Amino acid sequence: MRPENYQSVNHPPSNEFELFFGPNHPGIEGNYALKVRVNGDEVTSARADGGYLHRGFEKLMEGRLWIQNIALVPRICVPDPVPMEVCYSLAIEELGGIEVPERAQWIRVMQLELSRIAAHLFTFGGHAATTGMYTPMFWGIADRDLILDLFEELSGGRVYHIFNIPGGVRRDLPPGYLDRVSKTLDYIESRLPDYDNLLFTNKVFVHRATGVGVLNQEQALEWAVTGPNLRATGLDFDVRRDDPYLVYDQIEFDVPVEQAGDAWARALVRRSELKESLRILRQVVAKLPSVGGPIRAPIPNPLAWNLPAGDVYTRVESSKGELAYYVVSNGGDKPYRVHVRGPSAMHAVQVLENLVTGARIEDVAQIMFSLDACPPEVDR
Amino acid sequence: MSTLKNIPVVSHEKPSGGTGNLLANVFDELMAFCRSRSLFMLHYCTGCGAIELPPAMTSRFDMERLGIQPMVTPRQADILLVTGYVSTKTLKRIILTYEQMNSPKYVIGICSCTVNGGMYWQSYATAKKLNDYLPVDMYIAGCMPRPEAVIHGLRELMENIKKGESDNWRDYYRRYDHYLGNQQRLFGENWQTPTDIIGEARHYDLMGPETLGPHTALLEQHQTPLKPFEMTLGLADLPVRKDEPR
Amino acid sequence: MKLSPTSNLSASLEFLLQEISGLRSQWKSPRRLRVDLQAETLPALIELLKGRAGFVHLSAISCVDWPAQNEFELVYHLWSYEVKVLVMAHIRIPRDPGIYLSIYDLYRPAAFFERDIHEMFGLFFEGSPDMGKFILTEWDGPPPMRKEFDGEAWVMNQFDWQDYQPGWLKDIEAKGGGITTRPEDVRRDKPKPWDEQS
Repeated sequence: MRPENYQSVNHPPSNEFELFFGPNHPGIEGNYALKVRVNGDEVTSARADGGYLHRGFEKLMEGRLWIQNIALVPRICVPDPVPMEVCYSLAIEELGGIEVPERAQWIRVMQLELSRIAAHLFTFGGHAATTGMYTPMFWGIADRDLILDLFEELSGGRVYHIFNIPGGVRRDLPPGYLDRVSKTLDYIESRLPDYDNLLFTNKVFVHRATGVGVLNQEQALEWAVTGPNLRATGLDFDVRRDDPYLVYDQIEFDVPVEQAGDAWARALVRRSELKESLRILRQVVAKLPSVGGPIRAPIPNPLAWNLPAGDVYTRVESSKGELAYYVVSNGGDKPYRVHVRGPSAMHAVQVLENLVTGARIEDVAQIMFSLDACPPEVDR
Repeated sequence: MSTLKNIPVVSHEKPSGGTGNLLANVFDELMAFCRSRSLFMLHYCTGCGAIELPPAMTSRFDMERLGIQPMVTPRQADILLVTGYVSTKTLKRIILTYEQMNSPKYVIGICSCTVNGGMYWQSYATAKKLNDYLPVDMYIAGCMPRPEAVIHGLRELMENIKKGESDNWRDYYRRYDHYLGNQQRLFGENWQTPTDIIGEARHYDLMGPETLGPHTALLEQHQTPLKPFEMTLGLADLPVRKDEPR
Repeated sequence: MKLSPTSNLSASLEFLLQEISGLRSQWKSPRRLRVDLQAETLPALIELLKGRAGFVHLSAISCVDWPAQNEFELVYHLWSYEVKVLVMAHIRIPRDPGIYLSIYDLYRPAAFFERDIHEMFGLFFEGSPDMGKFILTEWDGPPPMRKEFDGEAWVMNQFDWQDYQPGWLKDIEAKGGGITTRPEDVRRDKPKPWDEQS
């Protein structure tokens, strides 16, 4: 029995309420927040709330030397740091007119693809965990660790390997390294059927992911979606192939494309990309012994290195999408302005807000993970 | 049975010298031992160091064998792991989260950035010294520390808890004025959290000489009476789906 | 298809760009075209590129602060999936009052970049859907990316630093940790572990 002076807290009574989704929430990727308004269990509107990881990279870079910033850039995207180093190095090389030796370019490609595999394995785990399956997360992270071991041997760092510097790479490969790389590749390739059995033919996952967060090609182009998320909508585009950098034009690989544009298609594209990355790495491992020469072009004394004035826009394909750096030099020893265009800056804000609207609340986390959003790229 | 009455259930100070009663601290020690063996770590990835936690928690390094597990709500967590740099915006949330946690609670600062700003020492957006704002029990330096280092640090914390040395959470009550002063310096004079720390300190008998001071006086001036959160997010102007009745 | 500044497509692109008055274009590399133009003609250029050359992808909008000239430089990076060329359109607008037009009606992603520039530089975009705060919600200082804002001085004023405590290292060394390999122990001519292998 309600007392006579009872007053409803929701006045007038309604099913509508607002929810904080993050930053302290297991269903959110990283330190990021989403404020959603729900009616029952259906989201009626959403608003992304970033800035929790803001460090002011662009300001910091203006106060440091060109070479010092190499240590800073990988921090912009933690799960996939190598494209950051490579993209920034490419910008400096283009500004300074430095020709990178061929061997260094192949070593860079090897790192980029290893990093892509590591990032995708991490994403599978996260995506599966949002549908209630934790085993893929354990497997994915354990297999990713093998790649981190390779990186550790190469550079000394598990996560941040400040290995690419303007002009080339820091060191040559240790003896026997390529054998260990191909052993790891063999192992990961042998694991792929297991992943298929566990995740990609799993009824729970397929049913949960199909038809969730559907993005058609028109919307994807309108919202500047890039990378695997764009390829999942049927557009055959890859920066590696269509705006080639390094030696990607000498490597044979396919660009996997899916048509459906939902979370399931995005997971499938990443799954196929894993295979293509393995294929690229096999070619690199076969090619590297025959590519001799130096690993680094001679650069001037980096502590007094004035790059000629000018500006440059370099793009690479990271595991999340199109990553770009706009670097301006005014002839000084420090960058005048660096603008980082992270792929997740689009995916995690406008695309996410739009996809989440109309979805059910249990799918919000899945949509975020299926977009593979990386919050530090948004906040910088 | 009458001897049991002599055993203090809660003792904040160790007996000085040999009092003769061997059982005097038995409950405390048992409690400290049990406490050190079931640590729930708050699942909040505050910075880049969080990327080394999944390997530490899953198959390869397997932190769970030490009795450490992630926990999703602050109310049930024991450890607040601050993994990496804290921007000003995050620091506010960390302080709110910390005050929500039930004591005893422990703060671990992972990565060099929590110690002294790390490589972001020039950055206008990140806080530099975490122990200015929260009572830190342990720092694990490195950029970023490997999972082994994280596990080593947590084991040291377990040892400290077992020995009863990690009680910085009491320090937060005893020197609340100091911590509040630093928070006010960064967030402005109107900074107020929804937790009544002074009231809690009175309740748990943890009032120290620095619990009250000029900064808490300032807080009282600006303090609005604590009431339940009203969830207004300013979402009214956002587009609402057309078929949805407003 | 290899595109170069002399190929047909790029020639037709340059022909198209001639419709805009006062425009200078320069090929920086086979796939990068730099375009300098007046601020008033930028909407016309963008409409032209989007409508007739298939530049549907707004890659980024960058802002550069030039306090000496008292100007902001805005750079619009547009990519065409068909022509496979990136056009960088540079315009300059006066720093004071720092107001420009939004291109949100043509490119939706502009909303994010314009809000970002508004937060970081204090440049206002008329017609942008949301000029509220997104990243710097807890910040009430000047726009931090402006050149006159000295971040380092602000940090020195705002924060204290950890005192150096040598006792910490002694504690660690007492437990068997600390610096195990001192710099003088590392000799450069020592054989590396992998030298023995080969």
